[in-house]
Amino acid sequence: MVENLQDEKKTLTIVLTEGPYRSQYVEMAHNIAESALNKGYGVNLFLYMDATHIPKKNQNPHSFPNVGERMKHLIKKGAEVRACVRCATARGHACDRESYLKGVSITSVYDIPGWVRDSDKVITLSG
Amino acid sequence: MNSVLIIVDKAPYGYEDTFSGFYVAIACLNRGMASDVLLVGDGIYAAIKDQEPVGSVNYPNVGELSYLIFPEGNIFVHLESMQDRGIVEDDLVEAAQIINDKELYDIIKSKTKKTAFIRI
Repeated sequence: MVENLQDEKKTLTIVLTEGPYRSQYVEMAHNIAESALNKGYGVNLFLYMDATHIPKKNQNPHSFPNVGERMKHLIKKGAEVRACVRCATARGHACDRESYLKGVSITSVYDIPGWVRDSDKVITLSG
Repeated sequence: MNSVLIIVDKAPYGYEDTFSGFYVAIACLNRGMASDVLLVGDGIYAAIKDQEPVGSVNYPNVGELSYLIFPEGNIFVHLESMQDRGIVEDDLVEAAQIINDKELYDIIKSKTKKTAFIRI
């Protein structure tokens, strides 16, 4: 049983490579992130490859939960979210500053080693 | 955590994943973090020598990228995956280090809680 982390704040990093709606990986990442935040973890979410579609504004899925809205909620709760600039640029998200949700940073894969170094756990969700 | 093991099980060019996995390994090494790559299943095709993607798919040559990882990091190639696909040692880049199931077990076992396993 995992206890709340009162004394020493631990950090979880999630590396996500899958895009929204086609698979359940995004929902799984959100659920894990939210649970970790609720237990007092610091949560980092690195969006790689198709996962860089997730923080796009104005998503309007008719049959699925809106992953953008869920991400907004996680950011509000304290999750740090960064997207790979190479992947985001390839998919047309990096050139327009308005295309992403507020609070999502477009950085580079060179942030991964820093986050790994500062993390107690690293989880990869990849199809 | 102080090291990473990048696990790649998809073929290069058919998926972006192989290139992107190598890219994470290179970034970690460049930031002073120990980093190895494990190629299993179709991922072993990333270690085939004399790849020529230029002029066809025009993706970066992942065989050449392996030399940005080796010798600082290891490129482990799973023997049983090679045998399943009829690939022999002479087919691989020099950077490749072939490992059997027992050696793979020992490598995984030797990794401590300080290693992040990143499957791309």
